[in-house]
Amino acid sequence: MSDRDAMSETHDCGGDAAAYALGALEPQEAEAFRAHLRECAVCRDEVEALGGVVQALPMAAPQYEAPRGLKRRVMQDVRAEQAGPARFERGRSRLVAAAAAATVAAAGVVAGIELTAGTAATVISAQVSGISGSAQLRVTDGRGELVVNHLTPPGHGHVYEVWLQSGSAAPVPASVLFDVNSAGHADVGIPGRLRGVSAVLVTPEPSGGRPKPTHTPVIVARLD
Amino acid sequence: MFSQRRNPKELADEDLMVRVRDGDARAFEVLFDRHSGPAFSLAYRMCGSRARAEDVVQDAFLSVWRAGARYDQSRGSVRAWILGVVHNRAIDWFRRESLRAAPSLEEGNAAERVAAAELTEVTVERRAEADRVRDALHELPDEQRQVIELSYYAGFTHQEIAQMLSLPPGTVKGRMRLGLGKLRISLAEEGVLP
Repeated sequence: MSDRDAMSETHDCGGDAAAYALGALEPQEAEAFRAHLRECAVCRDEVEALGGVVQALPMAAPQYEAPRGLKRRVMQDVRAEQAGPARFERGRSRLVAAAAAATVAAAGVVAGIELTAGTAATVISAQVSGISGSAQLRVTDGRGELVVNHLTPPGHGHVYEVWLQSGSAAPVPASVLFDVNSAGHADVGIPGRLRGVSAVLVTPEPSGGRPKPTHTPVIVARLD
Repeated sequence: MFSQRRNPKELADEDLMVRVRDGDARAFEVLFDRHSGPAFSLAYRMCGSRARAEDVVQDAFLSVWRAGARYDQSRGSVRAWILGVVHNRAIDWFRRESLRAAPSLEEGNAAERVAAAELTEVTVERRAEADRVRDALHELPDEQRQVIELSYYAGFTHQEIAQMLSLPPGTVKGRMRLGLGKLRISLAEEGVLP
């Protein structure tokens, strides 16, 4: 009897390979199968072949670009870690201080010009009304990104919807709905350029959004 | 030594990983630019929430920065490794929060609209590859695609899926095997896999 035959008698050869490749075995089953793999070339080959298929599965997801603010946050952390733990902690403190300062900043005030990865961003403090939290509109090369912190969640069955207002015209949907994470944070990229836009507004709306605002804006960022 | 003088944007992923291991943030930034889109797309597909997806991707990339030395070229491409880290982080999040996205996002729902705003920036090449993989997945018999989606995108074990679908665990494993086997053939025919 060959080694392969011997292994087949003690394990369901091949039966677990696909589930293992998918990460779908229970922990103790996976451990047993890993032990089996050390002895069974047939299963090793099958796991290797099916593993390549599993590695392709992420691409079956609808493809998007990562939100712009995500890169800024990741690189901030990386550079802070690169500079050493002490500086990383100081960096975090500065972020907390900045968020606190934004909370009390007056509406429509340009809080400053900031350099991120060599690109100048104009940071506008937004007025937050009726809910807690802070919001900033960052404008880089005519493109806007709304950054909210410690914001009250929109509530069950609701989302926040972003609107663009030009002069005295009625607000139009920016085609962006968002929710916040457990820390009340969200980075929201606004599609297109903000040319001619005088204010970016946010209202809580029922899930799926609405073609017109049904609620008084809770966030107002004025560009004019 | 030659690669040390070259612009990181000109380097292959594997060469960038060598620099990342040495603490080169510029090399890491190039990797982020190349792979954050597929990473975010996977996390968004798994979590069903933009905010959660961003947290998962941020956590995953920081892990890549800190643990770049663990990348083993013999076990696959840098992209596959990064996406594997993202996948594991999302599964960790499921287990921590006991929450999973719906197995299949309905077109036109609120969550989909949030990210759709970013869609125009996706390269034609990446979208074409995604279409080929998605088409191959959708060509599978429903019962095979279902068990693959439930395990890979929602992180359920075969036993949990068996319980959910009222099937013997062996049937679930059998469908996974048949489905992945057919996918392998389809993706090879499409040139996605060797």
